Amino acid sequence: MNMKPRFNWQPVVSAAVIVVVAFLVLLPLVFLVEESLNVGDPMAFPPQEYGFRNYIAMFDEDINVLFNTVIIAVVATIMAILIGFTLAWILTRTNVPGRELLERLMELPYYMTPLVGALAWSVIAGPKSGFVNQIWKAWGGSGDIVNVYGYFGIAWIMALFEGTVAFVMISASMKSMDPALEESARVMGASKLRTMLTVTLPLVMPGVLGATLFVFAEMLGSFAAALVIGIPARIYVITTAIWDSTLSYPPDYGRASAMGLSLFVVMFAMLTFYRWRINKGSYATITGKAFRPRPMDMGKLAWLLLGVCLLYVVLAVVLPLAALIMTSLQRFATVILSQAEWTLANYQTALSLGPIRGALGNSLMLGFGVASVGVILMALLVWIIYRSRIRGSGAIEYLVMFPQAVPRLVFGLALLWAWLNIPIPIYGTLWLLALAYLTVMLPLGVRTLAGVVLQIDKSLEECARVCGAGWAYQMRTVTLPLLRPGILAAWLLIFMACVRELGTSVFLMGPDARVIAPSIVSAFASSGTELTAAMALIQTATVVVALVILFRLTRGVTKEMS
Amino acid sequence: MSTTRIEVKDLVVRYGDAVAVNGVSFTVGSGEHLTLLGPSGCGKTTTLRAIAGLEQPSAGSIYIEGQAMYDAAARRNVTAEQRGVSMVFQSYAVWPHMTVFDNVAYGLRVRKKSAADIKAAVERALDLVQMRHLADRGASKLSGGQQQRVALARAIAFSPTVVLFDEPLSNLDAKLRAEMRVELRELQRRLDITSVYVTHDQEEALAISDRVIVMNVGVIEQIGAPQEIYNRPSSRFVADFVGSANLIKGKVTSPGTFEAEGGTILKTVGGTSGNEVAVRTAYIDLVPQPGDNQLPGTVRQRMFHGDFVQYIVECACGRVIVRRPPVNLLDEGAPVTLSFSPEHTVLLQG
Repeated sequence: MNMKPRFNWQPVVSAAVIVVVAFLVLLPLVFLVEESLNVGDPMAFPPQEYGFRNYIAMFDEDINVLFNTVIIAVVATIMAILIGFTLAWILTRTNVPGRELLERLMELPYYMTPLVGALAWSVIAGPKSGFVNQIWKAWGGSGDIVNVYGYFGIAWIMALFEGTVAFVMISASMKSMDPALEESARVMGASKLRTMLTVTLPLVMPGVLGATLFVFAEMLGSFAAALVIGIPARIYVITTAIWDSTLSYPPDYGRASAMGLSLFVVMFAMLTFYRWRINKGSYATITGKAFRPRPMDMGKLAWLLLGVCLLYVVLAVVLPLAALIMTSLQRFATVILSQAEWTLANYQTALSLGPIRGALGNSLMLGFGVASVGVILMALLVWIIYRSRIRGSGAIEYLVMFPQAVPRLVFGLALLWAWLNIPIPIYGTLWLLALAYLTVMLPLGVRTLAGVVLQIDKSLEECARVCGAGWAYQMRTVTLPLLRPGILAAWLLIFMACVRELGTSVFLMGPDARVIAPSIVSAFASSGTELTAAMALIQTATVVVALVILFRLTRGVTKEMS
Repeated sequence: MSTTRIEVKDLVVRYGDAVAVNGVSFTVGSGEHLTLLGPSGCGKTTTLRAIAGLEQPSAGSIYIEGQAMYDAAARRNVTAEQRGVSMVFQSYAVWPHMTVFDNVAYGLRVRKKSAADIKAAVERALDLVQMRHLADRGASKLSGGQQQRVALARAIAFSPTVVLFDEPLSNLDAKLRAEMRVELRELQRRLDITSVYVTHDQEEALAISDRVIVMNVGVIEQIGAPQEIYNRPSSRFVADFVGSANLIKGKVTSPGTFEAEGGTILKTVGGTSGNEVAVRTAYIDLVPQPGDNQLPGTVRQRMFHGDFVQYIVECACGRVIVRRPPVNLLDEGAPVTLSFSPEHTVLLQG
């Protein structure tokens, strides 16, 4: 009750948190920087000789890799933005039927991993045995009509996945535009078209440009499609080149580190520029207030627009899943039903074969463990960052959000090199994977939880105190019940992300610590598509179950809040 | 003084380098309804929250019922939950995950009252705000006005002696706000509570308080009964912020006389030195009265407001705004002599 002169613990807590988070987030990158400058024996630590040869080699020997990376990213970004802009315009500005349901459906591609997408499209549009080519031949065609194993194929798969990201970003900027801005143009005597050209487009442009920048940065760092499709087609991009140089003998970690760091620097610069543009808020249309602009009456055309939206869902979700399901249920995948030999053997194998079963079990275990521990840690971090008036909370927030700017693959490489050299023997065990997952999930978890915490009006807690409740009573009766839906949502999101994780896992998986996503990739390379399809579907099913619970939950929450 | 419920002395509250409250002192008597009035950022809410125990002051003291709640010198700071005061929040802070009944019962449950006592007290409180029929409704399904009533019921249910109000009516629309003002005043009379009320709405402050404290940039500008604040503003800030007033520049020629710009001599009350007098727009007559200060001029503009008519009159000392009942209207361009009592010609301390 008395304010006794007591020890001020705040700076200590703050410093401790900063040290731990910095250890997790920054230290691996320090190792990476050091290794990228290592021009002596690449396996020696600390390096015997420093220099820039690794960076120079990148431009000397791997210039075609950089070229591929840029070409594919540009093509994929253009496609993704076209998809996103079209969908955003249809869903925010027209009276397309079933708009609310459609908006929900548009989120689905995001939950399909690029890895699953790449596997599925290799089944659909692969040369010779691809389903489309099978049909083409059955109809009497000769040769291959489509082949996903090329520049365009890789870009296509990436664009289908990122299209939904572009959609979310662009429709947000369309929704936040005050309809009065357009209406006043109409009142001044401008035609519909003139209004569109002179008011709507210029106002939406910053949102579109922002989305373009963001998506392009993501494309540069994307890995799965380039791995599954690009390597068999001998098209290397920077991420697969990094992966490849760690596989050579002896592994060229120096070269990989130089490429990884370069990729990180480029992506970081782009994302920083993007954030700076957004924060500058030079366009006051973004008021944070969501408007629902009056939709344009499209008449019969509305049905066509509905078709366009559904086509995207079919291409990005329905068709890939259908193709994988069909493949997984056959002995030899064929789309000619009269030749099909249906079987459940692939699932049986996937669930009984030691390594695969182990990988699935490990992934689920990691998901449960990391989500459970992570949610508690992240809730604590959120409280420290946003609710305590601690000094240095800004620095903590920055550190926690940092992994977002590092491509997963680069982070995995950095952790690999760091833990090969830190004398704590957890490399090759699930512990390192858990630590890595926890670190890369920090931004996701903290952002989700912060969203909930910041929504809770501070006076709800204060009122409990004034009513006479102590801290513990207040937490139990007010804070935790209000936070519960958010905590569950964060748990599920982290769980899903862990089960899908590929980029970090490929580097950190050991023979005794396998996880599912990299196992799917190696199964695709070594055993048949049929078994791989079954594995991918089992992984997807786990995610779907979590997703269904999440949707149930968030719908319940929004209902309760409104 | 046995009748003093709350005593705030030399209170200072800092946020980092910024000083939100800079040496504020006042007392609140038993059963009194005191209002802290001022523009946003004047420190009124911070002062209230410091009394509740939600802000940590950096100097001064706060006593409630003679008990030190905060005393910088004695290094004493009682936590919010142990001060026994109650509070109505600006955002209502009605817990969305509980029913109306559970919200109102919270303070009683914390105090471990019996189920029967809780039920009786909650129903009494809900009756007072006419919300008993909604007792079982989820709090998230209430309108703004209903949430306001629940917040009020919750604040008085556990029979506190001191209730703090943080702009409780500011989120309501104008009509509902006027209704709630009447109800609040009624409630204050019926319950034996002492209240400290914070608002930026001067009309509300004058209407519902026994005493008003006008604050600006962290310090007190004036303390007084509503009529006193209105009739005798002590500073330019108070004259300008509370009600509507004309400020006429000029200089003091001798005690009680003031030469306005343009040469007219006015008799004044109030301060002893200064270069401005305040005249309320409502106290100016358009018919000369004997013994009054008089200003000749011309009607420049007439605006019909319904409840009153506003004239802008061009005088030698500048433009003067006059508000009269909407009868005997003057035309624009008409010559007029403004007349106002020396009692209402307040020299502002400068």
